[in-house]
Amino acid sequence: MPLTVLAEPRAQDAPPTSTPASGLRITAVHTGVVAGLLAVSAGTLLDVRPPDAYGLCMACHARDLVDWTINHLAGTRLTVAPASLVFPVLTPIGVLLGALAAAFANGEFRWRIPDRSWRTFLYGALVMNFALLAGGCSIRLLLRTAAGEALGLGGFGGLVAGVVVGTWWLRWRASR
Amino acid sequence: MIAAAATLIIGGVLGYLGQRSRLCFIGGIRDFILVRDRYLLKGLIAFGVTSWLAFPIIGLVSGGRPGPFAAPDIVTLLLTIAGGFGVGFISTLADGCPFRQHVLAAQGVRSSFAYLGGFFAGAAIFHAWTAPLLFQLLP
Repeated sequence: MPLTVLAEPRAQDAPPTSTPASGLRITAVHTGVVAGLLAVSAGTLLDVRPPDAYGLCMACHARDLVDWTINHLAGTRLTVAPASLVFPVLTPIGVLLGALAAAFANGEFRWRIPDRSWRTFLYGALVMNFALLAGGCSIRLLLRTAAGEALGLGGFGGLVAGVVVGTWWLRWRASR
Repeated sequence: MIAAAATLIIGGVLGYLGQRSRLCFIGGIRDFILVRDRYLLKGLIAFGVTSWLAFPIIGLVSGGRPGPFAAPDIVTLLLTIAGGFGVGFISTLADGCPFRQHVLAAQGVRSSFAYLGGFFAGAAIFHAWTAPLLFQLLP
C-alpha cells in the first residue's frame, strides 16, 4: 500500500461538500470549544460527578451504561461510577442519536459494507480495557489534564505517545 | 436523574456537531504526523484550552473547582500511562477515537458497529476479568 493511499481520507472522513441543512459550516474548532464548555458544565453544574472531571468520557460513560444495565438485569455488581449509581449517564446514546440526526438531515447516512469486522471488534474491546485502566478515553484524559490532575497528564502523555507510535507503525507497514 | 438527562442532551449536541465537523481526538495527531494537516488537531487543542479556561471560570459560578488531587503513587501512574498508550496505539489502528467511532456507527459504517460491540463488551470484560487479574498480579 503506497503512502498516498494511507494519507487519502476515507469517504466518510471527507469534509462536507453540500451546503449543510443549517447553512452553517461547523469546523472541528467549533466542536472542540462547545465540547469543552459542555464537558466542564456537566461535571461542575449538572451533577455528573463524582469523580471530578467526569463530564464527558466515551469509555467511562459507556462502561457505566453497560454495567448499570447488566447489574439491573442480572443482579450482578459490576463497577459503576458514583455519578451513575441511581441512574446511568447516557452520553453514548446521545452521541449516537445526535450523529444519526446530523447524518439524516444532511443526506450522509449510508450503509457501508463491513471490513475486517472481527478485528475492529477486538480493537473496540482493547481500547475499552486500556481506557478503563487509564481512567478515561482520549477525551477525558485531556479533560483531567485541563482540570489540573497529574494522573490525567500522565495518561494524556501516554496517549500522544501511543498515537505517534501507531502512526509510525502504519506508515512503516504501508511503505514496505 | 439530572445527570442522565444532561448527558443525553449534551451527547446529542456533540454527536450532531461531531458528525458535521468530523472531529476526532486521535485523528488530529495522526493527520499532523502523516500529512501535516492541522484541521482536526485544532479541534483537539480547542477542546483542551476551552476546558482549561472553563474549569476556573465556571468554578466561580458553582463555587468549587475539581481537586485537590492526591499525589499519585508510582504504580497508578505507570498503569495510567500504559493505559493511555494503549488507547492511543489501538485507536490509531482502529482509525478513530471512541467518539468518532460512535459518530461513524450512526452514519451507517458497519465496521464501527463491530467496534462498538467490542467496546461495550470490553466494559464488562474489564470489570469481570481484567481488573481482578491486575489486582492479583500487582502488589
